[in-house]
Amino acid sequence: MGKSEGEEWEPKILAFCCNWCSYAGADAAGLERRQVPPTIRVIRVMCSGRIDPAFVLMGLLEGADAVLVTGCHIGDCHYVNANNKTRNRYEFLKEFVDELGLEPERLWLRWVSASEGPLFAEMVREVTEKIKKIGPSPLRREWKK
Amino acid sequence: MSKYYLAWAKDEEIRKKGANGGFVTATLVSALENNFIDAALVVAKKSVYEGIPVLTSDPEVVKECAGSLHGAPINLTKYVVDYAAKKRIGLPTKPCDARGIIEQAKRRQVNLDNIFMIGLNCGGTLHPLRMREMAADFYELDPDSVVKEEIKEGKIFLVSEEEGGEEKEKWIKIDELEQKGYGRRDACKSCVTKIPTSADLACGNWGVPQGEKKTFVEVLTEKGEAILKNAIDSGYVDIEEAPGKGIEMRKKIEAGMQKLATSWKERMDEVSTLSRSGRFEFYVDALKNCIHCGACKEVCPVCACEADSKCLDMNDERDSYAISMYNMLRIFHLMDSCIHCGQCEDVCPVDIPLTLIQRRFSERMQRHLGYIPGMDVKEKPPLYETELRWSAEAE
Repeated sequence: MGKSEGEEWEPKILAFCCNWCSYAGADAAGLERRQVPPTIRVIRVMCSGRIDPAFVLMGLLEGADAVLVTGCHIGDCHYVNANNKTRNRYEFLKEFVDELGLEPERLWLRWVSASEGPLFAEMVREVTEKIKKIGPSPLRREWKK
Repeated sequence: MSKYYLAWAKDEEIRKKGANGGFVTATLVSALENNFIDAALVVAKKSVYEGIPVLTSDPEVVKECAGSLHGAPINLTKYVVDYAAKKRIGLPTKPCDARGIIEQAKRRQVNLDNIFMIGLNCGGTLHPLRMREMAADFYELDPDSVVKEEIKEGKIFLVSEEEGGEEKEKWIKIDELEQKGYGRRDACKSCVTKIPTSADLACGNWGVPQGEKKTFVEVLTEKGEAILKNAIDSGYVDIEEAPGKGIEMRKKIEAGMQKLATSWKERMDEVSTLSRSGRFEFYVDALKNCIHCGACKEVCPVCACEADSKCLDMNDERDSYAISMYNMLRIFHLMDSCIHCGQCEDVCPVDIPLTLIQRRFSERMQRHLGYIPGMDVKEKPPLYETELRWSAEAE
C-alpha cells in the first residue's frame, strides 16, 4: 500500500486505551517527549471493560496487525471491577486467536496507569518490534492495484 | 440422589408400541391425565426420516408418538422456550436436549420448575439424508419403502415394506457403516454424554436383563421422583428395584460408548494435524461459503439472543473480511457454552463443517476452564463471570 522499494514495512497496531489511566499514560509519554513508534492507532474508551471482544475481532478483520488492550491495574478500576471482566474476556480472546491460527503476539493486554508514560512508550516499542518480526496479519486484505 | 428402578407400562398397547416397555409414554400420559403437566412436547413420526415436534395436551397424541425415532435429530430446546415460562410441560429429552434446556435456564429463558425432563439414554442419531443414501447404497432398499428402523446390539436394522405388504428386515453393523462415513451423525459419534444426567429421569434399555421389555430408570431429581410417583399412583406404570448387576451393566455400556466416542473424536479431527497457518487456511476456506442466513443461530440450543442478536447485527454483507463478523462472533460466544449437539451443521444450507469447528474452539476453552455446559444450572457461563475460576495472570 503505497510502499516504495526498500522502505521498511510498518505494522498497524490498534490500541484501546482507558480514559482514566492508559490514555493519560499515553499523554504523559508525550509530555515527557518520549519517542513512541508511529505504528499505533489509539481509540479512547471510558473503561477497558467497555471493550467488547467484537471490537477486537473487528479490529483484526479490518487489518490491524496487532490489537493492544490497555487498562488500569487490577484493583484501580474507576468502575469498581470492570477490568476484571476485561481480563476474563482477554483469556477467551487469547484462546480464540490462537485456535484461529493467528500468532498469539497479535493480541496484548497490559495494565498502564496514568503516571506510567515511559512504560507506555516502552510497551509500544516492544509490540512494534515483535510484530515486525512476525510480519503482516493473514487476516489483512490488501486491495489489488 | 440416584435411585435405580426397572419400570414398564401397565397398558398393553403402550407397552407394545414403546421401544422398551413404554415407560416414557405411560409417564407422560399419566401426567397429562392427572393434570400434573399442562402439555407434553413429543416428536410425531412422519416417516423414518422425518419427525415433527408436537405440543399437545391430548394423551392420545402422546400415545401415537411412542417409540424411538433415530432419523429425526431434532433438538427440542428452542420449542420449550416460549411455552415453559407460564405453563408446566413434560417432554422426553436426549442428553443434548436436557443440556440445552439447562443452558437456556442459565440465561433465564425458561423456568426449570415448569419443565419435567424425562431423559433418554442416547447412543446417537442419524442424519436423514445420510440415512437415505445408506438405505440405497448399503442395504439396497428403496429409501421410500423403509418403514421402520432400529439400533440394537451395535447394528442398524432397516425394515422395508415390499409390494404386497411383505416386510423385509436387513441389518449392517454400525461400525462397518461408520468406517465408510455413514451411520450416526458426526456430533453423535464423538459425544461422550450418553446418559442425560442433567434431566429429571434417565431412561433406557441399558442394564435391563436380556429378553425383558422393561425400562431402566434412574431418578435424578425431586421433580423426577414426583412425576414417577404420579405415574405409579395412577396405575399406569409398575416398577421394581433394579438389580445390582443391571446397574453395573449400564455403567459398563456407558463407559464403552464413551471410549469409542473419544477415539472417534480424535479420528475425525482433521485440523489437529495441521500447522498454525494450515489451521488458519482451513477455517477461512471452510467458512467462506457462509451466506449468513442465521439458521445455525436459530436452532442453537444454547444461544438465547433473538432477532437483534449481536452476531447478525454486527455483520455487514458488504464487508470483505476473510472470515465474516457473524462467524467470528458465533464461534466466540459459544466457546464456553457449546454442547456439541451438531444442530448447526444439520441445518446449514452450504454444509459448513460446523460440528468440527465449534468443537475445536470450545473444547479447549472448556477444558481450561474445567467447565462442562448444561450440567448444573447453578454454574454461570464463564464468559459472564467477573473473575475466572482458573488462575489467569495477565501478561
